[in-house]
Order: sequence, then C-alpha cells, then structure tokens
Amino acid sequence: MDFSLNEEQQMFRDMFRSFAQKEIAKAAEHTDKNEQVPPELLSKAAEQGMLGALVPDTLGGAALDPISYALLMEEIGRACLSTAAVIACHTSLATQAVLDFGSEEQKERWLPALASGDVMGAFAQSEPDAGSDTRTLTTRAQRTDSGYVLNGVKTWVMNAGIAGLFVVVASSTPRANGRGLSVFLVEKDTPGLKLGQRELTLGLRGASVHTVYLDNVHVPEANRLGAEGDGQTIAASVLDHFRLAMAAAGLGLGVAAVEAGVKFAAERVQFGGPIANKQAIQNYIADSSAQVEALRYLVYHTAWEAEHGGHLSSGALYAKLFAAQATRFVTDRMVQVHGGYGYIEDYPIARMYRNARALDLLGGTGEMMRVGIACNLFKSQQLEIAP
Amino acid sequence: MDFTFAPEYVALRKMLREFAEEEVRPLAKTIDREHRVPHETLKKGAKIGLLGVPFPTKYGGMGAGETGYCIMMEEIGRVCTSTATNIGAHIGIGAMAIYMDGTEAQKEKYLTPLASGEKIAAFALTEPNAGSDAAGIRTRAVREGDSYFLDGSKIYITNGPIADIVSVLAVTDSSLGARGGVTAFIVETAWEGFKVGTLENKMGIRGSSTSELIFDNLRVPQENILGQIGLGFVTFMKTLDLGRVSLGAACLGGAQAALEAAMQWAKARNQFGTYIAAKQSIQWMVADIACEIEALRSLVYRTAWMVDSHKPFSREAAMCKLYGSEVASRAINKALQIHGALGYSRDHPIERAWRDARIAEIFEGTNEIQRIVIASELFQEIGVRVRP
Amino acid sequence: MRIVVAIKQVLDPRGFTVNRKAEKIFVNREEWITNPADLCALEAALALKDKLGAEVIVLSGGPARAGDALRDAWARGANRAIHLSDKAFASADGSVAARILAKTVSKLGDVDMVLCGDKAIDTGAGEVGPRLAEALGWPQVLGALDVTVVDGHVRAVRANGKEYVTLEAGLPAMVTVSAGANKQRYPHGGRIMDSYRQYQPEVWTASDLGLSEDELNPVMDNRGQSYPPERQRGTILGSPEELVRLLKRNRVV
Repeated sequence: MDFSLNEEQQMFRDMFRSFAQKEIAKAAEHTDKNEQVPPELLSKAAEQGMLGALVPDTLGGAALDPISYALLMEEIGRACLSTAAVIACHTSLATQAVLDFGSEEQKERWLPALASGDVMGAFAQSEPDAGSDTRTLTTRAQRTDSGYVLNGVKTWVMNAGIAGLFVVVASSTPRANGRGLSVFLVEKDTPGLKLGQRELTLGLRGASVHTVYLDNVHVPEANRLGAEGDGQTIAASVLDHFRLAMAAAGLGLGVAAVEAGVKFAAERVQFGGPIANKQAIQNYIADSSAQVEALRYLVYHTAWEAEHGGHLSSGALYAKLFAAQATRFVTDRMVQVHGGYGYIEDYPIARMYRNARALDLLGGTGEMMRVGIACNLFKSQQLEIAP
Repeated sequence: MDFTFAPEYVALRKMLREFAEEEVRPLAKTIDREHRVPHETLKKGAKIGLLGVPFPTKYGGMGAGETGYCIMMEEIGRVCTSTATNIGAHIGIGAMAIYMDGTEAQKEKYLTPLASGEKIAAFALTEPNAGSDAAGIRTRAVREGDSYFLDGSKIYITNGPIADIVSVLAVTDSSLGARGGVTAFIVETAWEGFKVGTLENKMGIRGSSTSELIFDNLRVPQENILGQIGLGFVTFMKTLDLGRVSLGAACLGGAQAALEAAMQWAKARNQFGTYIAAKQSIQWMVADIACEIEALRSLVYRTAWMVDSHKPFSREAAMCKLYGSEVASRAINKALQIHGALGYSRDHPIERAWRDARIAEIFEGTNEIQRIVIASELFQEIGVRVRP
Repeated sequence: MRIVVAIKQVLDPRGFTVNRKAEKIFVNREEWITNPADLCALEAALALKDKLGAEVIVLSGGPARAGDALRDAWARGANRAIHLSDKAFASADGSVAARILAKTVSKLGDVDMVLCGDKAIDTGAGEVGPRLAEALGWPQVLGALDVTVVDGHVRAVRANGKEYVTLEAGLPAMVTVSAGANKQRYPHGGRIMDSYRQYQPEVWTASDLGLSEDELNPVMDNRGQSYPPERQRGTILGSPEELVRLLKRNRVV
C-alpha cells in the first residue's frame, strides 16, 4: 500500500496551505467576530479555483481529484472552520448536485458561475418538522403548465445570506414514502423566495444560516435536477460528499488545535518549567494527536475510495462520525491545556472549540451517522434497519 | 443516616426556586447578549439574604450554613450560570476569606455589608505568571510605618469591575516564598491606587464581569491584614478549598437544567413517526445524565454536611468541583446533542449553557489541580509524598 | 390595627394529573402549597402591616402539615400564626370551618379585619369567607384586588367584567382577595430558617375555642365527585315556535 501523495497532490497541498495560512487564517478571528467570511476572501479563494474544486476545467473548475479536494478542505479547516463550511456547502452540496445530476444544459448554465464564485450555492433540505427525518418534508412542488410552483419553509440553510442559487429539495408526490422528492434549482431573485431571520449560532459564525420561505415560487421544468422522484437519491449523494468535506475540514481543525496546544504547553511556565513537563498535559496532547492521526487516515482512505470505487457512502458516515467525536475531544483537551486563556475569545482555541461542536450536527447528526452505519452492517444479515 | 433535608432547607429551596424562576431566569439571555452583570437581580436578592446565605445572622447573613449555600447555588445555577458566578465569587471566596480568617472587627466592618449585599466582594489571587502555580505571584506589599503599599496586578478576577471589597494576596517577603512570605489583605476599591484594568471577552458566563486589577502604590492600613502576616497562602488556599463545594452545587443545578430541557425536547420533538424519547440513543443519554446527577447530588450535599459538621472536607471538596464540572459538561453536551441543530442556535438556552459550562473545569483551580489535591491526600494516607 | 388572615393548604396542581376517563386524580408527586388566593390575602395584610403598623395573625386548620404553611406565613412577616388543630375538625365542611374561624376571631378579640382567599383551587366553593362574615355579623367584600384602609373604612377594588369597582365597608369587615391580586414578597431566607429553628406556631383546639360536638357537625355530605357531562352538540332552531315545542317535549315547561 502506498500512502504517499503523488507529486501533483503534494503541489496542491503546498499551494492550499500557503493560501490558507496567508489569507484565511489571518481573517479567522474577524470572520468569527463579525459573523461573516469577508467577501474579498471568497473572491481570492475563487481566483485560486477553490470554489470550483471539483468542476471540470472545461467549465471553469479546478477539476481536483477527491484526495486533492480533501487536502484543500483540510488546509482551509486548519485555518478557519467557518470558511471551510461555507466553501464545502457551496462546493459539495450545491455545485456537486449540478455536477452529478444536472443535464448538459444545466451544467453549462450553472457550473461556470458556481466555479468562479460569481454565484454562491446553498442547499435547502431541512424544515421545522423535518430534521433527521427527511421523509416528513412538506415543501410542496406542484406541477404547473411550464414547470412547478414551490411552497414551504426551509430551515438551517447555510450560505442563504450570500447564495445566488438555492438547490431545494421538495415533495413532488406527497406520501410516496421517500420516493416522492425532487430537487429544484431556484435563483435568488425568483419572486416568492424570501430569506427569513438569520440563525445566530454557537460557532461557524462566519457562515450565514437562514430560514428560507418559498411562497408560490415558480420554477421552469428546466430547473428540475434529475427526474421527478430523484430527490432522495440526489440529497443522499451530495450529503455524503459534504460529510467527507467537513470531515477533512475537521481534520484540519484538529491539526491546528493540537499545534496550538503544543505551542502553548511549551511556552507556558508554571511550577518551575513549561507545563509540557507535566504528564497530564502530555497525555492530553498525545491522546489528541492520536485521534487526529486516526482521522487523517480515515478521511484520506475514504477520499481514495471515492476516487477508485466511486461509492462514497459508508466511508463518509464513518469519517464524519469520527471527525465530530475526535475534534470535540481534541478541542476540549486543548482548551484545558490553555487553562484560563482557553476561555478568552482573544485566543483561537476558544473559537475552535465552538466551531468543532458543529460537526456532530451539520450534515446529519452523529446519531444518524450511527443509524446509517448500523443499517449498512445489518444488510449483510438481510435485516432492514429503520431509524 | 438521614438523607432528607431538614424542613427549613426544604422551605428555603422552595423560596429560592421561585426567586430563580421569577427573577433570575428572565434575564439570563439578556445579560449574556449584552455582556453585563444583572445588578437589578443582585439588589433584589440582597433583600432576601441571597448575598450572605452561609454567614451567621449576627453578620447579616442568612445563617443557612454550607448546606443552605449549596442549595442556593444549585437553584441559581439551574437557571443562570452567570448569576451563580457573580454570587459565588462574592460569597464563596471574596467574603468567605474574611469570614474564615478575619478579626471580629474586620468581620463587623466588612463582612456585614457584604452579607447584606450592600457591598460586593472579589477574590484576587491569579496573575499572568501565577495561574495554577499560585505561589508564583509577584504583586508586592511593602511595609512603611503602619501601612503597606501594594504594587502589581491581578488577572481574571471575577467581579473585578463591580467589587467594593477585594481580598488580595501579595508578597511581603520574597526571600521566604509561599511559606511565610505572602500575606492577604482586605482592600477597599475606593482607595487611591486601585484601578480596574482590561475587561475580558469570555466565551461564556458573559453575564459575569472578569477583569484585570491594577495596584499602583495602593496604601493598605495594617489593620487590613487578613489572617497572619506571611501566612496569606494558608488563608487563600483554605478559602478556595471551601469554595469548591458550592461550585459543585452550581454545576449540579446546571446539569439538572440540561436534563430537564433534554427530556422536554425529547417529548415534544417528533421524527420518524414518534417522539424522539422513543429512541434508545436518546434514552441512553438521558439515563447516563441522570445517573451522574444523582451521584453528584449525593457527593455535594454529603460534603456540605461535612463542612457544617466541622469535619475535614478538603479532598471531598476537590471532588465536588472536579466531578461537578465534568458532569455538567457531559450533561449539557448530551442535552445539546438531543436538541439537534436547535442546540447550536444562540436563540436557545442550551447553547448558552454549553458555553457557560466550560469554565467550570478551569477556574477555582483547574481540574488538574483538583486531581493533584485528591491524589496527594490519598497517597499521603499511605505515606507517599506527591508534588504537583 | 389587628388583621386576621385565614389560609389553607391545597395539593400542588403541578404534582397531579386528572384523568377524565377514569374520573380520577393521579398524584405523581404529593406536595402541598398554600392556596394561591390565600397568599394574595396574606400579602395584602402584610402591605397594611407595612403601611399602618397593623398586627397580622394567620390562622389555618388542617393536619400537621399545616404547620409548614403557618411557618411560611410567619416567615413572610405575620406576627402570629395559629394552628387550629383538633381531631374533631377533620370532618369540617365550609359551614363548620366558618364557625371555627368565627370563634377564633371572637376569642382573639379586637379584630378589625379578616382577609382570606376568595376561592380555593381544590373545591372552588368560595363559601368560607361569606359564611364567616355572616357568623361574625360583619359586612363582606368579595373578590378584592386591592385593599386599603381609609378613615376607618376598608376600601377594596375589584373587577366587574371590564371595569374596576371600588367598594367601601365599615370596620370590622371580612374581605376576600382574588388570586393574582398581587405579587407576593419573597420571605427573607434568614426568617425561613428561623421559622423552623426558633419559631413554633401556636396550637388551639376545639376545647380552647369552647366548641361543642354539635357545632362541629357538617351540614353537607360529600357523596362523590364526577366530571360534568360532555357538552352536547347544540341544535340551531328556526323559530320561537320550534323552541316552545322543544321545551314542552323535554318537559322544561
């Protein structure tokens, strides 16, 4: 088994790291305090091809392989998890949906704008009564002469505040038990699409999350992604991509947190020497580092599988579940290493701690990851597990 | 063994629960958002003895002892960690130092207005170079005639910006170190040479004010030496020891609140055709939280009883703080998870509870220090000397 | 000025659920609280104590646990708390309760006002106050939200639908106070502690009051309790003639 990155991947990694450390890390505190990723920063990232990571170069993208994309997300996550979330949402949810399920026309129409960052993408699936349970989606897509009319309320829509394109999951055939969902591309200025209040959050404060109202929103047939009834498949597929992307970003966060802890422990002198001399501190750091290492191989193995086997699904579940647990553990221990300083917002570790907590919630809760994993495992026994 | 609370404590808890629900809870979100201290609550509380719960009535306190104090911290901690922090720093360490080692004259002069809530107290130990290693403090107190002149600064002092009276630890003889060279003083913040420095921007307990305190040639009369000259470390460590029990009680309140919120949400939230309380993942979290709360409750109130019965309590107090802070963190984290995405929203109390809880494992002596205290005492009993 | 306040304990409604089908009350957590309207009456009395220096004496019947309610009243600021306690009081209905209270008020002497809650949340009968006033031969003002004393008169404000009405009565008088009339002060914690450690409510028995067995016989016999029948769907009538026909058929007229 060859665990090395090829030359191209190494080059990408160095490029991404350089950009992320120079531009994104510098803006991280500001992003959190002002609750916005600076638009100029997103433009710069777009110039580097980061917003079109997986889009083919014929359509203006960077055409990265899955491992290189994971490297990108790792470096961005290491610099700022808010920025990583904004980009992952745009790339792995919205753009990926068009990329994998769009017709040639749809791809040509949308991918260049998404890849260049001229249009930011958002993904609207959750609803007030449909969180983990997406079967209970009630946003309705009713057929009209020219297409569909959408009515409903979507919650927790990340990037809603900056998106030009919303990928919306709606029910085109009610009570069809999961086979009645379809996906629609809705442009920001479409009459009837309205942003509700912004959700102020514990972490990932640089990402704008809103409730989105769809009030008689008319979309042409040409804006439907895939066939009617494909909604469940499309949503599941892009969510897997998003999970892996966030797991990779979490890996980066873990790396940054351990780095911060090691540095602090080496510099902070108490009881006659650096606290790095204390075994308890060594244990926190060692355990954290071990978690990060394990996560690294889980993430990259999943990315490698995506490249070679195509099917991302189970790896993504493991990666996100583990990333959530590992980053929570690591950031918590590194806050403890920092002592009182770990509670002051002037120090990055406090922000990393708040940000890491999101990983067990967004893109599906850890509980749903477990349900998915158990489901896959029991299939071998011909047993259908339902949540 | 009688595990019931005496009826006066039952009645006291009932009144405090009402006060907490009617007066404290409504402000919890506001003071977090506005980053301010709920002065109005402290004033209302002072009227009913809230700011002097453990102190004898002759000093204007409630006469409810450590048990009553833990009950109060539990009830307040259940609705607002920030308010509990403000009160805890005032009673549990600020005023307590004076109660433990003050002369009768000092208690009359300082403890009485503190217990009645007329004045607010703080406890100033930590410095940039002296966190867990409190012996590393550098604030100097130089003697001149019948006064001492204080120079130096303290950081991360809860109630720093609002205190009238501060118990301060300073070096009186640097050649002697912690044993014999450090003295505690009662300082009035109105005196010349006292200044409040930077206000800290904390992740949580934002309804509590934490700041730097600066002493610049601050004159302290010798009557204000607290305890014995040179033995200030003993006074301060003794005070911190006791403060740990009630901190455990506040954590108990916070964990209890998390359990209640999680269960209500699990009952109300429908997914997959039923309330999520029907799911084992949720049930397991609730059961685990409840078990830890029971254990913590017994630990805290038994330790409070040991304090009130004048038994040694240092190790158990450290356990209250250590276990309490970790139970609260675990409970609140699980409760947040049960709430799903809603738990991540700043509109929801559990989000604030999550940020507020984290400090408990750090202040009042980090959990590492607590473990050192516990391990030291245990090993000492079998003749082994353990150092930090 | 001497004010008597009569209070009683009721089961905390937060501790039980009522099952309509089984027509039963299921007590999940048995806790007793002072009837909310009675607490309002006590607060009104304490406000008069603050303003006029009145003496406030609180009375309660009930088993041993009534001691908690009395200590609570004392902690809130009552000067005296008396437990009217006797095995013979156990079967008391509203009329007997009023009689016991009347005897107590007479025995205390020089009482200017009696305040009590207008209704209890368990029975909802609201009869003790009026019966007590009758037994004492005093004027009664019912359902007050605000109680003041002006020129030797009691002045009470109460709500009559959408308006407030002010009523005055000469002293001595009996006034019942509605729940929600005021926000009660919190007792000082030290006083709560003392209410158990230093204080003991007085206890008066049937013989202290000189009450005979006959005087303690209830006039009402509780034969059971049930839910009122479900409200039936109504019928919309077309004409007065139809109404008359229906009334005749149902033997209402």
